[in-house]
Amino acid sequence: MKLNRPARNPHSETIIALIDVVFFLLVFFMLIGRMDATAPFDVRPATAVTGRDMPSGGVTLAISAQGALALDGEAIARSALSPALSALLADDPELRLRINAHRAAELRKVLPLVAEGEALGFREVVLVVTPETDG
Amino acid sequence: MTLNRPARPRALISLVPMIDVMLILLVFFMVTSTYLNLDMIPAVKPSKGAAGTPQSPAGTLMIRLGAAGVPVLRGTALDAETLQAALAAAVAGEPLTQVVILPSGAAQTQALITVMDSAALAGVTRLRVLRLEAAP
Repeated sequence: MKLNRPARNPHSETIIALIDVVFFLLVFFMLIGRMDATAPFDVRPATAVTGRDMPSGGVTLAISAQGALALDGEAIARSALSPALSALLADDPELRLRINAHRAAELRKVLPLVAEGEALGFREVVLVVTPETDG
Repeated sequence: MTLNRPARPRALISLVPMIDVMLILLVFFMVTSTYLNLDMIPAVKPSKGAAGTPQSPAGTLMIRLGAAGVPVLRGTALDAETLQAALAAAVAGEPLTQVVILPSGAAQTQALITVMDSAALAGVTRLRVLRLEAAP
């Protein structure tokens, strides 16, 4: 007597392995990536060894080496910065202001913005640094 | 007359659309993610209210930061290591020593961060950055 076994689908096991790999990669990139908006110019933050881990959230003000400004990834004029920050602060009074200044930016273009953020009412203003020396 | 249609086999859920969605998500996260290792240094300490017990400053050290990024303490230009050692000695003598940094507006951000780094490594807990404003 001859038994005819039903033919197995030859592709099912391969597809499941593919799904496993893709899912692993997906979780990997979700965990190690940051979803911050990037500035429209080059910003290399200063290096420091005593920086603390930066929690997510908050609004990021990027400052280029020449003093150009970008708020959450979008270029913004100096005159429009204060109203924009005030509007953001009105929505969330606990908002953290992160100042991501290029390491070569002059302090006369950085420190007034720190003072302005404090004057507007931001309870936490932080300077973004990096522990990497070659960044 | 009754027609008996053959029962259709139950359709399996196709995995191909799921793979498509996962691949799209994967590419999205790969493209939009940035992989900078970022830390933060507080520029303005969160206010803890006015009910805190005021501590009288035991002593104040002022560090001037020149336009070239060289810190000057008590009239002597110091490098980062020497500055850290001087601050550590001051803090060891008086833990509540307040350190004030007066930076030049032409100095670079890296120079200020380096001085703040040295102060933190020396154990300074009371650190302030001053800023001169032009008179109106």
